[in-house]
Amino acid sequence: MEAEPVVAGSLTRPCVKCHAQEATLDSRSQPVCRDCFTKFIATKCIKQIGILGKETRPPPSATGSGPAQGTRRYLLGLSLGVSSTVLLHLLNENVEFQLARGRNAPFDLVVVHIDHTQPTTTPTPPSTGPHQPNPTTTTPASRALDPYRRRYPRFTFHCIPPLPSHPYHPAAPHLDSLNSSSSSSSSSSSSSAAASAAASRTDIRRLLTRRALLAAARAHGCQALLLGHSTTALAELTLAEAAKGRGFALPWLVRDGPAGVAVGGSGGGSEESGRAEESGNEANEVPVLVYHPLRDALRKELVTYADLVGIADLVADRHPSHQGNGNRNGTANGTANGPAAVVSHRDLSIEDVMARYFADVEENYPSVVANVARTTGKLVRLEDAGGGRCGLCGLPLDEGGDERWRGELGLGAPARIGNGERESRLCYGCERSTAG
Amino acid sequence: MAPALCANCKTERALIKRPKNHAKLCKGCFIKLFEDEVHHTITSSQLFYPGEKVAIGASGGKDSTVLASVLKTLNERHGYGLELVLLSIDEGIKGYRDDSLETVKRNAVQYGMPLKVVGYDELYGWTMDQVVEAIGKKGNCTYCGVFRRQALDRGAKMLGIKHVVTGHNADDVAETVLMNLLRGDLARLSRSTSIVTGDSRSEVKRSKPLKYAYEKEIVLYAHYKKLDYFSTECIYSPEAFRGSARGLVKQLERIRPTAILDIVRSGEDMARLVPGETSSSCACKGQTSAVMALAEDDIGGCGSQTGRARGDEMAAMDKQLRENEAHEGLEIDVAKAMAKNQKDGGQKHRELPLRSGDGPSKGFARQVLRNCKRCGYMSSQEICQACMLLEGLNKNRAQIQI
Ligand SMILES: [Zn+2]
Ligand SMILES: [Zn+2]
Ligand SMILES: [Zn+2]
Ligand SMILES: [Zn+2]
Repeated sequence: MEAEPVVAGSLTRPCVKCHAQEATLDSRSQPVCRDCFTKFIATKCIKQIGILGKETRPPPSATGSGPAQGTRRYLLGLSLGVSSTVLLHLLNENVEFQLARGRNAPFDLVVVHIDHTQPTTTPTPPSTGPHQPNPTTTTPASRALDPYRRRYPRFTFHCIPPLPSHPYHPAAPHLDSLNSSSSSSSSSSSSSAAASAAASRTDIRRLLTRRALLAAARAHGCQALLLGHSTTALAELTLAEAAKGRGFALPWLVRDGPAGVAVGGSGGGSEESGRAEESGNEANEVPVLVYHPLRDALRKELVTYADLVGIADLVADRHPSHQGNGNRNGTANGTANGPAAVVSHRDLSIEDVMARYFADVEENYPSVVANVARTTGKLVRLEDAGGGRCGLCGLPLDEGGDERWRGELGLGAPARIGNGERESRLCYGCERSTAG
Repeated sequence: MAPALCANCKTERALIKRPKNHAKLCKGCFIKLFEDEVHHTITSSQLFYPGEKVAIGASGGKDSTVLASVLKTLNERHGYGLELVLLSIDEGIKGYRDDSLETVKRNAVQYGMPLKVVGYDELYGWTMDQVVEAIGKKGNCTYCGVFRRQALDRGAKMLGIKHVVTGHNADDVAETVLMNLLRGDLARLSRSTSIVTGDSRSEVKRSKPLKYAYEKEIVLYAHYKKLDYFSTECIYSPEAFRGSARGLVKQLERIRPTAILDIVRSGEDMARLVPGETSSSCACKGQTSAVMALAEDDIGGCGSQTGRARGDEMAAMDKQLRENEAHEGLEIDVAKAMAKNQKDGGQKHRELPLRSGDGPSKGFARQVLRNCKRCGYMSSQEICQACMLLEGLNKNRAQIQI
């Protein structure tokens, strides 16, 4: 802002960090200047990237199509929302910073947007590996990537459809309606059923987005999947997942670390192969890590940051017209947009309710929001819950919990999907979202 | 248009859409299913033993009235052999309890159960009106809440009864789960979902047989059974974050009716994921009492308040957290520890930094349960909260008398 340093005394409201510039912003109830604010956000991100860097040893050399020796390779899930866009920007800055100092780029980055407006491809034979985007289809989402490509030419961008679902999956009917805009569900007779269906659609779409990103990370030889979740998004995620009966899965969803999801292309379903963690070819493959480098920044701070560094115009989701247009896949893809101003109650998802709630709490009690995310991060992952993997979300099943619950409520046998060799069970949360 | 038939008996007209799962039922089947489900909860948790003397915490409100009615019915139908007593607490707020106590008195006659009304003055030597007089209107919520939490136990003890059942329903439990997530209080979270509170060392066991019953179904049950209850709003009862959590639960229920039970399920599962709880948490074997809870942490009871004090408490916690952050550089520690944690395969959770001091979220340090030195009530401190508050009050009274 000011070109020449000014003596603090001559400023009307000096920045509390540098004391050299006029404070133009409030950051965590302290007056700061623009430069110190952007540095503050960048530092929070870089700290996490540093932690990740130590976790991801460079891959062994020459594994065919694998990345160059010694280079870490990450995949960024880009929802086109504010948070993941900011993360992309910060990662780009980080690379440029290192290159400018004559060092190697600290990592390669593959940017992937999961586009639910593209038709889900029919199941491909497992041998074909990563599913490729159909180059002939252009969707609003794939066009929305063009400005990103221009702005960050260093990175490669992919716009891909969600994974084909499990061939026998009862959720398949839901998937067809995932793409339909919310208004088309108005033909539904019962409004509460419509509301439930909207919540289930959002939930399943979110799960499939996550699985698709993990599969893409695996396919691109990436050691980690980076998601743009802010502190606020993680707090929302915590309460939303708890509300959907996924309390058991929370440590996998909120904490950084191994994905815990069976990534395999078409469902990763069977309990035997689920135990081998991933696609099965190489049982001792290192699992993909999931990291949330923006976990220490509030959403409103990321919105401010996007404005300050001039990337707000990239963000498609900021425009309400994009709501319900395939980008409402919520936090799993790192969406950072606040909730749309007016949505009829029947179209609200559980994620929407939490987004509205935390937008309010974040404004007035930011430390409460941060505390939610931090506390949930302490929950332990029960690695050996005894039940293989869920056929839909791919997360570990909770055998003991399921059994106790059925006993407490006097319920019958658990839901299973598929049949024969492909049969697998659903976790409690997925059972709820596929119940119809 | 032909009227829909009951999904259960398929003979009667369906009159009721069950709030819990939208099943269409006739009146008789709804009542029967509701009772059967409570019976299942009672038997699967082995809540009672034959001949047990049980006090029903009775406020005259819908929850405790339904609880009394259902327990009477089930006790006779299934031969539990329970000796049921209604236990009411009189806070000593002039006018406030008059109507609800009248209701409870009628219930005692209707259900043929003995009724015991215990006053705060008997239990603590102070009525709430006297407390308000002594300390003013501000801050008396704390007193009422703390006194209320112990009142039933102390009252039961006076009657020589070792088991108190309360009317807490699934909505209350769901609310408590969300509230503790919002407060970042894992220790309380891990206890909030258990059906029984108190362990072998506490003199009075508390349980909530309606833990899985939806509030809306309780209202329906009371309506169709034509139960005599009193709807009251507690005037002194704001508990931290509860109103806020309540609002969320209501919204979620509208979107997905099963959400209330789903939250309860999440809470039960998360209880096993709290560091320090995990060792004992292969809960599959220890059927009866998955997690025992401190009765001190139990749900406060009456509140129909909707977030009246939310602002104050969130603000206070926000401020406290900020101070903690400033002091401890906590974020950095956690990040480091987590990185380390992951390297070790996530097994070393015990090494996470424990927050010390009296911050609003004390992390998950396992609390040592003990008995209050003065009153014997189970407490995490040497002197329980009620006795601490009483000490202050009595000091104050002594000074005034001088
Ligand atoms: Zn500055
Ligand atoms: Zn699942
Ligand atoms: Zn019937
Ligand atoms: Zn005491």
